[in-house]
Amino acid sequence: MNALLRSGEDVWGPRRARVVAVVLALLFVVIVGRSAWVVFNSPLKDDAALPVAEVVRRADIVDRYGQLLATTLPGWSLAADPGVIWDPSEVTSSLQRVFPSMNVAQMAELLSDRKRRFVWVRRGVSERERRAVMDLGLEGLRFIEEPQRVYPHGSLAGHLLGYTGVDGDGLEGLERIYDDRLAAGGPPLRLTIDSSVQYVLEQGLEGALAQFELKGAAGVVVDAESGAVRAIASWPASDPRKRGDEAAEVKTNRAINVRMELGSIFKPLTVAAAMEAGALTSGDRFDTTTPVKIGGVVVRDPHPLPEAGSATASDVIAYSSNIGAALIAQRIGPDGLRAFLEKVGLLGGGVSQGPQPASPLLPPQWDQSAMATIAYGHGLSVSPLAFAMTYTPFATGGEIVSPVFLEPVAGSASQRRRVMSKQTADTVLAMLRRTVLEGSGRLADAPGYEVAGKTGTAEKLTPKGYDPDRNITSFAAVFPASRPQFVVLIVLDEAQPRTGSQRTAAFTAATIAKAVIARAAPLLDVQPVPSSAGVEAAGLRGSERTTP
Amino acid sequence: MNKIVVIAGLVVVAGLAVAVYRAKLGAEETQGRIEELKAEAAKVEQDIAIMRAEEAYLTRPERIGPIARERLGLQQAAPDQYVASEALKQRLGEEQARLPPLPEDTSVAAGPAR
Repeated sequence: MNALLRSGEDVWGPRRARVVAVVLALLFVVIVGRSAWVVFNSPLKDDAALPVAEVVRRADIVDRYGQLLATTLPGWSLAADPGVIWDPSEVTSSLQRVFPSMNVAQMAELLSDRKRRFVWVRRGVSERERRAVMDLGLEGLRFIEEPQRVYPHGSLAGHLLGYTGVDGDGLEGLERIYDDRLAAGGPPLRLTIDSSVQYVLEQGLEGALAQFELKGAAGVVVDAESGAVRAIASWPASDPRKRGDEAAEVKTNRAINVRMELGSIFKPLTVAAAMEAGALTSGDRFDTTTPVKIGGVVVRDPHPLPEAGSATASDVIAYSSNIGAALIAQRIGPDGLRAFLEKVGLLGGGVSQGPQPASPLLPPQWDQSAMATIAYGHGLSVSPLAFAMTYTPFATGGEIVSPVFLEPVAGSASQRRRVMSKQTADTVLAMLRRTVLEGSGRLADAPGYEVAGKTGTAEKLTPKGYDPDRNITSFAAVFPASRPQFVVLIVLDEAQPRTGSQRTAAFTAATIAKAVIARAAPLLDVQPVPSSAGVEAAGLRGSERTTP
Repeated sequence: MNKIVVIAGLVVVAGLAVAVYRAKLGAEETQGRIEELKAEAAKVEQDIAIMRAEEAYLTRPERIGPIARERLGLQQAAPDQYVASEALKQRLGEEQARLPPLPEDTSVAAGPAR
């Protein structure tokens, strides 16, 4: 420094040096500041701070064993930009080759409006259709990725599952009832349905077509202990993949949403009601030889009973006597019968989990006439699901359970109430078993499975009154009688045999019930009983329960 | 002295700039990799969903039933084909009793469990 000063070359004079130092210091500060800004305010940090917008995949629906019934897969939808389409008619005519059902005139009109910049051409396009459209090389079209709801089993349990709209919203069935839960994603919705049993039931209803002309059919298989619905079907089958684009009679769920007069399968309820009221014992006898007038109706038996002059309650059920049922109901009166039917949930008001059965159609007034007809299943319309649950007390020893559609069943909303004594339940169960062994339900006797059940044939109500040529035939059953586990209900709407003229439930619904039980029982882990053990059900059950 | 400070400062600034640049580049690369992995995971999930749907489609009862019957000759067991496990044990015991006695040293290995 001294040498520089001495030579007169003041290159690093204190002032200049300070200026340079200050500039460098400022530069340093700027660079460090900028570095700090990059570190603390970088786009990476900004991104990390933002919530991640995840696409929620609609939850699957599976059966009780995890078999997939509904899922969501990636899919495509086709959109168009009319603003860049020069020849709408050429585009629409080409597209029609891929989508034959497309409304060409309507689409051409939409694509001709060049002010529009977006038009949906087709929602939910399959991969094959997508490739076909791409091969056309048309202008102004583009594919947008959209998830699609898929039903791998086709129409299996179609009525129960329901379907979603093109936007993925649940519109029918369980898809609608549990829409919020499904739309939130997460673990699958696990049903109590067993897809194999469901298939057997649907095959049974479908198989009815081979034997009868049919207008419709419904079936239910319920675990009597838990209320778990193992299968529930309505025929004609509905295909969820069609998203409701079906005739009304196909879309109608006859097992849940339709109410009907189910006929003589009501008689065991009438007998149970009278026994519970202390107005009937199994030894009481009734004269059913001549029609009786009760209130404003004359009750007749279409077929005389073997011992019509001295029929027991068991005979009334086994041989299906309308007169006997009406006389038994008369012992408890309209109020007594009404109270019992209310107790077993047939008069509505009960709330259960999942699909709600249709509200019953009640008689205008509960008088003697209503009582007499309801005693044998006319004058009160209920849904098959609601009715099926009324047979669970005969299987549980007197307790009714509510239907359950979701697993796990343990700890679910299933309600269990005592509606009759164990003695009454066992006695009526024995009568039902006798009906299958000796009475009108013989064709329902699936060997090894001790079917206990009752036939029902109801004339359909028309504007001109009851039509004897149009029937609802039904069969309600509990099996196996010695250790009851399941309730089965089969209902056929206007079943007309293709050969012969027998169209009562003894020849129609009973045969379908037998086929369903024989095939479903092994799938439901029901151990068959050797044929030599086909003795009275109540006795068998009683001895099993008292044996240590 | 000032010269050394200035040069040192410049070196620090340059080093800092390079470090920040590399850190940022690394972060972007990591971000890209995360995005790739996320996309890959989503693709795998989609593939699994498609395969599960295909499995469900292929194992549906209406397809499996005819295959089991026609190609494998299987049919539903009749009620009289069911035997209680106690009866099976009894029958196995009877069959064993009819068999000739086995040498002592092999009796365990050649027991009914085989």
